[in-house]
Amino acid sequence: MIKFNLNGRKIETDAPPTARLLDVIREDFTLIGTKEGCGEGECGACSVFVNNLLQNSCLIPIGSIDGAEVVTIEGIMESDQFKILDESYSEAGGVQCGYCIPGMVMASAALLSQNPHPSEDEIREGISGNLCRCTGYNMIVEAINMAAKKGDGLWKKQ
Amino acid sequence: MEETIIAYRFDRLEETLSQLNKANCAIVAGGTDVMVMHKSRRGVPPKITKPIIFIDHLLELKQVNQNGNDLHIGACCTYSELLRDPLIPMPLKKAIKTIAAPAIRNRGTLGGNICNASPAGDTLPLLYVYNAKLLLRSVNGDRIVPICEFIQGVRRVQREPNEILTEIILPSVLEEGAHVVFEKVGNRNADAIAKVGFAGYIRTKGAVIEDVRFAFGAVGPTMIRSNEIEKKLLGKTIPVTDMDIAKVVAAFDKIIKPIDDQRSTAIYRKTVALNLLRYFLTNSTHIQHI
Ligand SMILES: Cc1cc2nc3c(=O)[nH]c(=O)nc-3n(C[C@H](O)[C@H](O)[C@H](O)COP(=O)(O)OP(=O)(O)OC[C@H]3O[C@@H](n4cnc5c(N)ncnc54)[C@H](O)[C@@H]3O)c2cc1C
Ligand code: FES
Ligand code: FES
Repeated sequence: MIKFNLNGRKIETDAPPTARLLDVIREDFTLIGTKEGCGEGECGACSVFVNNLLQNSCLIPIGSIDGAEVVTIEGIMESDQFKILDESYSEAGGVQCGYCIPGMVMASAALLSQNPHPSEDEIREGISGNLCRCTGYNMIVEAINMAAKKGDGLWKKQ
Repeated sequence: MEETIIAYRFDRLEETLSQLNKANCAIVAGGTDVMVMHKSRRGVPPKITKPIIFIDHLLELKQVNQNGNDLHIGACCTYSELLRDPLIPMPLKKAIKTIAAPAIRNRGTLGGNICNASPAGDTLPLLYVYNAKLLLRSVNGDRIVPICEFIQGVRRVQREPNEILTEIILPSVLEEGAHVVFEKVGNRNADAIAKVGFAGYIRTKGAVIEDVRFAFGAVGPTMIRSNEIEKKLLGKTIPVTDMDIAKVVAAFDKIIKPIDDQRSTAIYRKTVALNLLRYFLTNSTHIQHI
């Protein structure tokens, strides 16, 4: 049995140790906000936090994270930071088909919690592991910029 | 019927080594290469035939310390950890920043980049010019191997099945008068696999070149370095003359034999490699002596 903490709850799974964290959270725990794009670490659709660090859940065998804290997009949805990101993404028109968005939001939150006042280059670097086929990124960059301003003071790790 | 998958994750390096000594296992550090290499269908765990042993959590493999002139880097330090560490030299940080994107850098390890032995491994050209030495540990004890001997070919390394790479040692990183550069040419910044990587090292005393080293990545099965060519420049004064630069470039022209692939053509790769070398010899030897 592999045990870890998922969105604040202690959980156990009998999935094999090589099972991808992505499959375990989507299939065993039906947290389907986390998406699969490439399955190879290239697109960021599967982004989650593991021990507070942004990671690609498609590359994580669950046996390697025994005891870790995993947070998915569902796990941050009640936070004030999320609300600001949500608003800013809509206002900036950063969402089209939406497939990349959960991953983008996770990457945005990771960036802002480390760097609450990022420059445009730093924003682009922060989401450089997240592919979006629709928006051409400019609106997403704008959304993050807006979230940084609106949420001033909120981003530092609690 | 599902086969049972055996995986180990011990708290201590010692137990890990004794398990490796009992059975041949697949070592998984950050898994960023392993998971992609063994990827299966959606929803199906990757197929790894050997028992798996996870090592990326082992604290013994996550230390960085300066020991006299030598810098010791734990093999399982992730790229993000190294970027934050004040002991890591700037050129190495520069190389690390070109690797993938934040999420991969939060998982991928320096030891994994070495043991994966890809011709395009981005830390490798620099590790070659630093004359990096690798500390391999097994239940039988330690051995130290220069990186250029450890890496033998594409994805081929000289590791015994019971050994773990525990430390990367950069000798004399603090040497005075040394100047080190790293350059990578790829498609776009993030997630771009190198088309050409270059690292150069030069150490002068006054205007005299005491030591000079070059390594090229992604232009052959492993890094290309030549002691013979480097020797031609020892004892010369800087700035290096155009004639000497031409000689060195011509010598590398003979031994760099890149291939065509989906990322680039052989001719392009070679031209870029030689341009990076020429640029290094022209510029670094100027700024050196001010
Ligand atoms: C999307 C994406 C982008 C990438 N971009 C780049 C890039 O720009 N540049 C680049 O160089 N690489 C890149 N990589 C490749 C990869 O991230 C790096 O090579 C990384 O350093 C591998 O480290 P790891 O810990 O994840 O290795 P793992 O996958 O865990 O291991 C790799 C190999 O090394 C062995 N191994 C690992 N650690 C040890 C040890 N301590 N002792 C003995 N054997 C060991 C494993 O058994 C395995 O064979 C990329 C990968 C992905 C998925
Ligand atoms: S699905 Fe994990 S990075 Fe694309
Ligand atoms: S909005 Fe469609 S992929 Fe980003």
